[in-house]
Amino acid sequence: MDNYSFQLYSKILKLFWRVFLIILGIAALIVIFPYVRSVVMMFVISLLLAVLLNPVVDFMESKGINRGLAILITMMLILGVIIFSVSLVIPGIISAVESLTSKLQSDVITDLNKKVEDFFAVNFNNAELARNVTSKVNEIGLKLLSNMAEFFKSVGSILASVAIVPFITFFLIKDIRQFKRSMIAKIPNKYFELSLNIFQKVGNQVGKYIQGQATDAFIVGCLTVIGLFIINLVFDNPVSQFVFIGMIAGVANLIPYLGPVVGAVPALLIAIISNPPNLGIVLIWIVITFVLVQIIDNSIVSPMVVSKSVDMHPLTVVIVVIIGGNIAGAVGMLFAVPVTGIIKVTSKEVIWGLKNYKLK
Amino acid sequence: MKNPIWEIVEFRKTKTKDDIFNVLKNVPIFSDLNNKELNEVEKIIHRREFKKGEPIFRMGDPGLGMYIIIKGAVNIVEENENGESATLAVLKDGAFFGDLALLDEAPRSASAIADDNCDILGFFRPDFLDLLYRKPKLGIKILFALSKIIGERLRRTNEQLTQLQKK
Repeated sequence: MDNYSFQLYSKILKLFWRVFLIILGIAALIVIFPYVRSVVMMFVISLLLAVLLNPVVDFMESKGINRGLAILITMMLILGVIIFSVSLVIPGIISAVESLTSKLQSDVITDLNKKVEDFFAVNFNNAELARNVTSKVNEIGLKLLSNMAEFFKSVGSILASVAIVPFITFFLIKDIRQFKRSMIAKIPNKYFELSLNIFQKVGNQVGKYIQGQATDAFIVGCLTVIGLFIINLVFDNPVSQFVFIGMIAGVANLIPYLGPVVGAVPALLIAIISNPPNLGIVLIWIVITFVLVQIIDNSIVSPMVVSKSVDMHPLTVVIVVIIGGNIAGAVGMLFAVPVTGIIKVTSKEVIWGLKNYKLK
Repeated sequence: MKNPIWEIVEFRKTKTKDDIFNVLKNVPIFSDLNNKELNEVEKIIHRREFKKGEPIFRMGDPGLGMYIIIKGAVNIVEENENGESATLAVLKDGAFFGDLALLDEAPRSASAIADDNCDILGFFRPDFLDLLYRKPKLGIKILFALSKIIGERLRRTNEQLTQLQKK
């Protein structure tokens, strides 16, 4: 074997081992993932919280407060806000659910059944078919309600796991620089500066993007609550239900294009359940409020607080939201754009680094 | 050949915080800092080991920060378009280089190549900017010391230019 062939052989062998190890690693991850999924989820949530709270902690530290104490103060404040919000929202949800249940038990379902029966009786002259259809619809309704019970059970287990999140978040914020440093320490000298540069740039842009989105969601939520107060809707439990609607509108707003529509649904639903005498006008006012909130958000709030570094073409957004939805449902839709944004920023910076650093 | 027992002892010795403090204290940028402040700096510096002949950074690379030699020697080399290189300086233990990169991302004006197996500390702009925001008093101390060094260099360059113009 001549020298050239030997070098080629050794290169091919090296490449083979690399590919083999990567495939083995991916396979191992797929096998392990179901067992560590809850831990990964907790870590991701903690990381998001750490990114959101870090600027507040840094600000307190810059004013001379010890970092550990600054984290504790920030987390206590957030805990207070969460407890306050939940205690404010729960009565609204309970009254809405009670109202929905009573409506379901009484007039709405009976009316609907009667209307369907009449429709089939008149159009197809077949009362038997009508009864079959209504019983099927009622069965589906019951199944949905039992599924909701299952959903709340899983929410309970999620809440139990969430108790660990504050601990992880505390240490992530406290030692974030040490974590970064120990990660960077493993990188070979050749790629060290390039990696450090990309790591910092991506970190900054992603951090700003997440913070911007959270601020935008908060402002949209507040604007929605203010809007609902201004149009003075007569709900069973106005303050609580307005805040609940505002929270959903804020979170839904994270999904571009589709979010604002989804955000308006709870408000419209609660209005329909409340069934006020002027329902049509109330629904129109709700739609006007949500449209106005969107106009204010798109023209003033969003350009000011959301980073432009992850701007995406509307078509890209729609496609990634659909893909996200297919992969992980509503959560997938919520995370689709940020994850794509992270991938976009990372690729942009990696390409910049590879162009500008001499790696040979 | 070195006795392996003593090699381990030496390795441990160089890994202690006190040694890093001593190295940092001798760097003009950090010489005014007290131990508490040096401790903060120590948390954000990166320790790297380079083998003989290994590049630390290349001429033209975006500047990211400065390096301080704990142990070893580094060649500062200028390369021309034909690939020929000229050694501008050989830096030894305690010397620092690349400090201008703490201020901006301008391309490196020369390459730094390890002339020996080196133990090096890196202090980088993103970490420095973060420190400047979180600990403004400490950040300003470092920034002021850096300004003094750059001012001194500018003064010397000015003097040399004046002398050249007189000739």
